[in-house]
Amino acid sequence: MSETMQEASVQDIQERAAIDKSARLPVLFFFTSAAGWLFLATLLGFASSVKLAAPELWDACPWLAYGQLFPAHMDSLIYGWGMQAGFGVMIWLMARLCRVEIKNGVTLVAAGFVWNLTILFGVVAVWSGYGNSMPWLDFPAYLWPAMFLSYAVIAGSLLMMFRRRREGEAYISQKYIFGAALWFPWIFAVANLILNHTGGSALMNAGVNAWFMNNLIYFWFVPVGLASAYYIIPKIVGRPIYSYQLAQIAFWALAVLAGWTGFNRFLGGPFPSWMPAISGTAIILMLLPIGAVAVNLLGTISGRGSLMHFSPSLRFTVFGGIMFNLYGLLVAFSSYFDISRLLQFSYATLGYDIMVVYGFFSMVVFGAIYFIVPRITGCEWPSAKLIRFHFWYSSYGIITIVAFMIFAGLAQGGAIDDWSGDFMDSVRRGKGYIVALAVAWALISVANLAFYYQLLMMACGKGRKSEGPTLIHKNPGEAASAEAAAGFAPEDTAKA
Amino acid sequence: MDDKNSTESNLDYQGGRAAVRDGHDSVRREKPEPVAGGSNKVLISWVVGAGIVLVMAGGYLGGYSNFFDSSDSYIYPGYVAAARPVVEGVDTDAEQEPWIEVWMKDGKKVYTNCIACHQAAGTGTPGLFPPLKGSEWVDGGTERLGMIVLSGVLGPLNVSGSTYNQPMPAWGALNDEKLAQVLTYIRREFGELPEGQSGVVTKEMMKAAREKHGKRTSPWTEADLLAIPGDAELPGVEVDLNTGQPVAGE
Repeated sequence: MSETMQEASVQDIQERAAIDKSARLPVLFFFTSAAGWLFLATLLGFASSVKLAAPELWDACPWLAYGQLFPAHMDSLIYGWGMQAGFGVMIWLMARLCRVEIKNGVTLVAAGFVWNLTILFGVVAVWSGYGNSMPWLDFPAYLWPAMFLSYAVIAGSLLMMFRRRREGEAYISQKYIFGAALWFPWIFAVANLILNHTGGSALMNAGVNAWFMNNLIYFWFVPVGLASAYYIIPKIVGRPIYSYQLAQIAFWALAVLAGWTGFNRFLGGPFPSWMPAISGTAIILMLLPIGAVAVNLLGTISGRGSLMHFSPSLRFTVFGGIMFNLYGLLVAFSSYFDISRLLQFSYATLGYDIMVVYGFFSMVVFGAIYFIVPRITGCEWPSAKLIRFHFWYSSYGIITIVAFMIFAGLAQGGAIDDWSGDFMDSVRRGKGYIVALAVAWALISVANLAFYYQLLMMACGKGRKSEGPTLIHKNPGEAASAEAAAGFAPEDTAKA
Repeated sequence: MDDKNSTESNLDYQGGRAAVRDGHDSVRREKPEPVAGGSNKVLISWVVGAGIVLVMAGGYLGGYSNFFDSSDSYIYPGYVAAARPVVEGVDTDAEQEPWIEVWMKDGKKVYTNCIACHQAAGTGTPGLFPPLKGSEWVDGGTERLGMIVLSGVLGPLNVSGSTYNQPMPAWGALNDEKLAQVLTYIRREFGELPEGQSGVVTKEMMKAAREKHGKRTSPWTEADLLAIPGDAELPGVEVDLNTGQPVAGE
């Protein structure tokens, strides 16, 4: 089996151009509205962390209370940005990999409108104090059927595309998208039905809520992010993934393990001990697929790492991949009782969540967007400098958040575990680190402003019209591809 | 068919590679789509790592699960839970808000119906709506007040030396409790009560007022009201301001 990919044929190019054209409307719709939500979410993140660091600020205004800002921030980050940007990536990847044109673009946009309106209503409700205080499920109970329906239309379209696929065996990215499309309705409906309708003991509800949070990560953010990474990396590096078999094993391991996680968020809590124990075991076993991703990541780009110097898509994707591996290790580590009694219920949990939702998923999606948008708009990104700016400010911001939240968690340490101590003591110990959280969100907001500006320019067709991709560290059009910029001639590719 | 031909004519060939002329450079330069299958390499280090992970996971499950005993073992063996704090000597009564505070707060809510004319501070609107502050009607007995809120007032009414002509609507549609609360509120908030009077109007007093005067369907006139003695009180027992219960021994 040859290790390199063949050059594209004329038919390939025609086919791609047609698919991209059909994907233009829905994908751009999801990307641009997601980017708007992202900007709002990062501003809310900044405001909520400022409020947390200086609670006496804006005392008179309930709209700026931490208890209303923070859930509004998380919900707009997860549903407004994360899932919506994910829809765009899923639709485009599915169309490209199945080699079918998108026939129901308008339906997808209509579903997207419903999604956006519902999220808008939900975020405003949460922000104005009508949330129901269940993390990641804060929206008022009557909103979830609308989200569910809108999602069903989008997922249904993805599955229809998969049915019409022209390639027999599904590529690993297709499997991940297929999986994510079906897993989300399951976890979302189960969590909402139990928490909002049938009810149960308050204790078990907390467990169900934690189960939903973990499953949203492992059954949605992780598969969609990995689908994108398994597409973008081979595409830019110009090699098939290092070990396809490991990628398959990782997919099935994820599918089997993810549903068991969640209760590890309440290790030592008042559940029968086997419940958190099983979740913790699943989290540790999750190191198998995560290790497979690491092997594939390193193996595929090995020797061609200098492409990251030039290609924005590859750079964002690899950063996300590294964050994913670190996340897996940290969470596995924290599922041990002696560590979790220090870190659970502390700021460290927030750090982990941001690490996977922003450090991994969002960065990978940025990589995909930098790859996809020139293709569907027919013009190139206006400024390589702004891409670089976006990358560095985002990555500094994320690393700051993760590092400082873990430090804050350690500083809070056992204080929260000590019932005889003053609760405020544990809050005070973590307070200094919150300043770093505010600074980090400010950095990320600035980075996202640059991203949003460029994306809107592209969507309006105001991108660069000349040939040649926009590469970091190269003048526009100077190099025909990241390969050429890195000095890999096509002949080298053949030999590598 | 035509469509396909026109796409074809948009292509040219550079060194065997096809290029789309219409600005789709990005589509031309990209590599073919990745496909399923390919290398089946399994790294030995991954296999070794997987073995370690499996052993760790087994140890974890064995150590923490208490062997799936769900009776009362909440935490893994050997963990000693902190003793529960003992709550002692807490006077639950002291924590409660006095009854009168709650009654007044509710009265203030009902008073929102009155604010448009009588104003939040009970000052009224000069020449149009009479004040409650300094009004002999508020300071006086409760029977006249009960009549006014039940059926309203029509025509000229003399309050604190001025005459007011605007009609006052009837509020009999509100229940006894709400009317009692609002009367308590205006009397304690705006009234200048004689020494020793609490100003409280209870639900029972309001009920008595409704029994006596509630059949009236038209508003009262000044003459009707003046026929009742200014210090006539509605019948009712004195209540403890902290509990809202009748004062013992009455």
